[in-house]
Amino acid sequence: METLNDTTLAALNLLFSGNTELWEIIAISFRVSGVAILVATPPALLAAFFLTYKRFPGRRLLISINSTFLSVPAVVVGLTFFILLSRQGPLGEWKLLFTQTAMVLGQIALALPILVAMGHSALQAADRRAWETARTLGANPLRALFTIMREARFGLMAALLAAFGRIIAEVGASMMLGGNILHYTRNIPTAIALESSKGEFAQGIALGLVLLTMAFTLNALLQHIQGKGQPVT
Amino acid sequence: MSDPVILTLSALNKRFGKREVLHDIELVLRPGECTLLSGGNGAGKTTLLRILSGLERPDSSRIDTGRGSLSWRRSRADLQKRVLYLHQQPYMFDGSVRYNLGYALPGGLSKQQRNSMIDQAIDWAELDHLHETPAKSLSGGERQRVSLARAWLRNPQILLLDEPTANLDQEARRRTLDLLRSFKKEGVSLLLASHDPIHFSSMIDRRLHLYDGRLAAIEDRKLMQIPTSPALRSTA
Repeated sequence: METLNDTTLAALNLLFSGNTELWEIIAISFRVSGVAILVATPPALLAAFFLTYKRFPGRRLLISINSTFLSVPAVVVGLTFFILLSRQGPLGEWKLLFTQTAMVLGQIALALPILVAMGHSALQAADRRAWETARTLGANPLRALFTIMREARFGLMAALLAAFGRIIAEVGASMMLGGNILHYTRNIPTAIALESSKGEFAQGIALGLVLLTMAFTLNALLQHIQGKGQPVT
Repeated sequence: MSDPVILTLSALNKRFGKREVLHDIELVLRPGECTLLSGGNGAGKTTLLRILSGLERPDSSRIDTGRGSLSWRRSRADLQKRVLYLHQQPYMFDGSVRYNLGYALPGGLSKQQRNSMIDQAIDWAELDHLHETPAKSLSGGERQRVSLARAWLRNPQILLLDEPTANLDQEARRRTLDLLRSFKKEGVSLLLASHDPIHFSSMIDRRLHLYDGRLAAIEDRKLMQIPTSPALRSTA
């Protein structure tokens, strides 16, 4: 068996030699998860806003249900969508199983509870007077909504990063809904799972390094933005 | 001919759970008039201001802003156009003083028009040295002046102020009162909720006192300046 050093060197070599297959897997991962986060964010933030600012019967129950979904394993989400999208399933006619669209759907389902829960916390932490001040200064509800999102942007960005981190690294739903098809639905986590099972650790390490670099870059970016946003005291 | 009226409020009731905070409140506001609203802690002053600004829903009320006597719900959009409410501790948006002032401007203005109006507001509230300062870092008095300048840019008919001089030092209080006098001169109707009537003695036209959910007028000029006391309550 190769040593860890040898494997890491081989992984770096794969990455920097511009291995087409490897970079295609990376591109698929970012495309699928990027689309999922883009689709999930607007409704999730709207839901977070309603849970924070509107009082209606069943509000607390909805918050509890959403929090419950936070702990659902990705493979269970994958299985649920697999049943829905399989040929005999209620959505079988859409012929989406083993496509990137199916992977996007699974990842949206995984991202939504995180975005809603963390978005709700971020908006709750924001000062309620922000909304009232915006409204009393003549902002319509939509402008006031964007204003409080701006005021709570650091918390909301953290929610976005957490959700993106969760879906780009999940393997269960992607494997079940995408089928790990090379050049089409093979993404970083499913490729790592496959290569590791074959004993090919170099590609797995290389892809793991990409995930780590992405996580570091996004977090460093958030820290930088948060630092710039600190009020002068 | 009687003075023009910009808002008539009647039959206003508000409960929080079993507690009746406001009972059958009636109120008339006129342009250029300064009304002081006094009352102890929890008397309902802030609730009344918030209802008038459209932020808090009453249990029942009739409001006439010149379009006939309507329910609060039907008057709400009109209230939000004419009335501006300032919190006891004004909220500053994350951004510079200029950004905060610009927020109050209506859409559809050119950049040049916006800058010109913001500059006028900066002059009006004497904020020249602060215009690029992050608004969240301002002192209490400076925040109060920025919030008044924002209000000035909105050009409201009615300005509702919740304890506008609370926690301000003497100089900040003087500058705040000067700005409030400017509003009054421009014909804006001011409704101030305060524990300290003495600070406003030179500018108030009448004093209303909230006690036990009911609103009573205090006519005596001398009593207008006296802080809330049991004797005053019985007079009211």
